[in-house]
Amino acid sequence: MLSLISKTIHLCNLSLLFRFYNFSHILFKEEGYRKMSGSSTLKKEFLKKWVLGLQICSSSTKKMNFLERSKAIKLSADVAMASAKDCRTSWSRALITNALKQDEDKIIVRNILGTDFEKLTKSSFVSEMFSRRVGSKKILRRSCTLRRIKKGAAKRVLASSIAKRLVKKRTQVLKGLVPGGESMDQFSLLKETLDYILSLQAQIDVMQRLANASEISNYK
Amino acid sequence: MSSRRSRSRQSGVSSITDDQINDLVSKLHQLLPEIRDRRSDKVSSAKVLQETCNYIRSLHREVDDLSVRLSELLATTDISGDQAAIIRSLLM
Repeated sequence: MLSLISKTIHLCNLSLLFRFYNFSHILFKEEGYRKMSGSSTLKKEFLKKWVLGLQICSSSTKKMNFLERSKAIKLSADVAMASAKDCRTSWSRALITNALKQDEDKIIVRNILGTDFEKLTKSSFVSEMFSRRVGSKKILRRSCTLRRIKKGAAKRVLASSIAKRLVKKRTQVLKGLVPGGESMDQFSLLKETLDYILSLQAQIDVMQRLANASEISNYK
Repeated sequence: MSSRRSRSRQSGVSSITDDQINDLVSKLHQLLPEIRDRRSDKVSSAKVLQETCNYIRSLHREVDDLSVRLSELLATTDISGDQAAIIRSLLM
């Protein structure tokens, strides 16, 4: 296996490939001690799918300018991460659904998803139908608390209603940041946010390693 | 912390308890980079939400920056079909 790889490297004349090989081993080693061994599998899945997207970028590099290419790289990274989650989470499905809305991005998405594409396009319609219900139970609180004007309780009530308003406001902001967040109730939103942050961290980690490896190989 | 919710109003709507939500909020709190130094039991959910939004925005910015950086770096080296297949096989 090792000789085959070194021959291929020689033929391709690309030291970047060698760096990839090294850094995939680094992924194995460093993640070993972590409690969540799931994150290294996630990163591997992500990288596999991302490479598919990057291939498309590089095959049409002549037509793309700098900005378009960076957008395509970002898109393939996002779609690759969403697809690496097997579209089990709501945010990943929403991300891919949004990407499919742009015609120019469809090719990348289709290639990254591969066989999952058919499955997803059918099930995404179903999930969109169910996600129409909006969580409105939090709005009841405000109108009821303002009626109580007892002296001792007034301050406490005011403080808690301010806190609730703040929470509500910030939840709205969070809904705008997490893909597909608008139609989630607070509980699901929090769960999705947790997962989304972990995935973003993994995505950034892999992208950083690739960038560092490419820099090293480019300036040798 | 918004814990003064009256349970009677809630019970008809859903079976999700305050505890579950508090649990999620504290997990989010642990993910955030800035507050990791001081372990405080009492976290205000408004603050956690605000820090979460800021953190997600910074993560998005970082993805954008990395995409720009990679766009420069990968301009010179193309990834062909063979190389991509090899990379994938290395990761199996």
